[in-house]
Amino acid sequence: MSISPDVKKSLADYKHTSLFWTDLLYLMSNRQQTLTATGPFRKLAVNSKKIAVETIEMNEDMTEFNTRLSAYYKQLSDTWNDAQKEYSRKVPELPNDIEHMDASKRVWIDIFENYFTKLFDSSDFSENFGKLVTSELEIAKHWNNMTSALLESANMPTKKEMDEVYKELHSLRKRVAKLEKISNKGGS
Amino acid sequence: MASEIRIDPKLLAEFIKLNKNIMEAPNLAKSLEEIDLETTPYEVVYSEGKVRLLHFSPLVSKQVKTPLVIAYALINRFHILDIHPKKSWVRHLLNQGIDIYLIDWGTPTQINRHEGFDDYVNGYMDNCIDFVRKESLSDKVSLQGYCTGGTLSTVYTSLYPEKIKNLILTAPVIDGRRDSTVVSNLAKHMDVDKLVDTLGNMPPELMYYVFSILKPFEQGFEKYLNFFKNIQDKDYVENFIRVEKWVTDTPPIPGELFKQWIKYVYQENLLINNNMYVGGKRISLKNIAMPLLTQVAVGDHLVSPECSMPIHYAVSSEDKTMKIYPTGHVGMIASSFSQKKVLPEFAQWLTERSEK
Repeated sequence: MSISPDVKKSLADYKHTSLFWTDLLYLMSNRQQTLTATGPFRKLAVNSKKIAVETIEMNEDMTEFNTRLSAYYKQLSDTWNDAQKEYSRKVPELPNDIEHMDASKRVWIDIFENYFTKLFDSSDFSENFGKLVTSELEIAKHWNNMTSALLESANMPTKKEMDEVYKELHSLRKRVAKLEKISNKGGS
Repeated sequence: MASEIRIDPKLLAEFIKLNKNIMEAPNLAKSLEEIDLETTPYEVVYSEGKVRLLHFSPLVSKQVKTPLVIAYALINRFHILDIHPKKSWVRHLLNQGIDIYLIDWGTPTQINRHEGFDDYVNGYMDNCIDFVRKESLSDKVSLQGYCTGGTLSTVYTSLYPEKIKNLILTAPVIDGRRDSTVVSNLAKHMDVDKLVDTLGNMPPELMYYVFSILKPFEQGFEKYLNFFKNIQDKDYVENFIRVEKWVTDTPPIPGELFKQWIKYVYQENLLINNNMYVGGKRISLKNIAMPLLTQVAVGDHLVSPECSMPIHYAVSSEDKTMKIYPTGHVGMIASSFSQKKVLPEFAQWLTERSEK
């Protein structure tokens, strides 16, 4: 299941229109904002456009996410229905008394386990699941960017800046460990 | 004429009994929080960042001079090797007079996200093993790797064969292309670059999702039904709660390490083809020439036997043994079967090949 060309086109139109008005409103209000928003809070006014753009782009990714999520639930419900049909076919053959309760339960579990394992082993499932997670990550990325815009406005370190620190620390640790090894061996 | 529904009285009695058990369960079972998973005493002898090296206190006099270092997996925690006094992997080997060290990878946070195979193998593992060699006055140690710990141990041994006397791989993840599990199916279609770029580390929630789709009806329904049915059996209940606590506690995996593991082992299958590079060095499995014991489980639904077995044929060891057990991934290390069959064979194999 993927997004149809018609939906893609209307999404692109929506995105273009939204971005156009976001830009224009930003430009039109720029002077007034500059006059009224002074000092560090000026940054928040500037970043508000970034947040608006991220929201528009996130909406686009939400469509892909919903498509993948619907396909995921469809796979689960179709498999459940097929397994249930198979079990219903077997029910008349099963003795209906307490002594055979465990055996009946075993049959039910085996049938459902087999159907679902087959689904989870299929490339249809893993492909859709992979794309579902990817679309969720795209949404998370926009969320991260919006949070970064707010953090930036408050003069606080963003995720990206923190990651630069982690990267630097990681590289420093490696260099120290290397130097320690050399000095322990009495080398230069 | 009114219709009559007939219910077997035995069925009704069974239903009432199950309900009674459910009502009584809180009085008969501890909560996960009330359980302490550490059963065998140990000392933390070395630590580096989040990683700790544990040295288990001997229970009998030492019978074997060569110490055994266990590299636990990156998923869940090491407690499964010591989950219950009667099912403890560690305790069984201590009772055979084997000196045991264990690497606990700890709980990585975002500060560890750039750590990869190089940091784990050339850093943490090598430092831990050097520490053990120094403390035990042994040039070489025996190394056991379980699951993903088996992958790390394989890479380590290929790089430092001079430090390893015996290598034991228990359900190691080696040949991703041959792996027929659900885990492998999901791994092959994962955009791991995007995942790590966006989230940093591999989050426990996603790991837990992968486990929850493995045998969802047996593990998600029947297991709990059996728990309530057996609520009066003290040993059963104790063991159940201990394993549940272990299952639900999985730490994040450092982003870079997870990315390399998925790409090198599952997507590009570099390890088994001797094309994987760690710290700028090629991992050649032919460098593994010491005695090798490979343990696989026929019913392993996390690492299929076909994924582990190729290591047996890829190394250059002349003394190599492969044991195939009729159990599962966890059953191989923490069960009555493991105590009766897997561990005695393991201990004998190791003792015969270690310095006394």
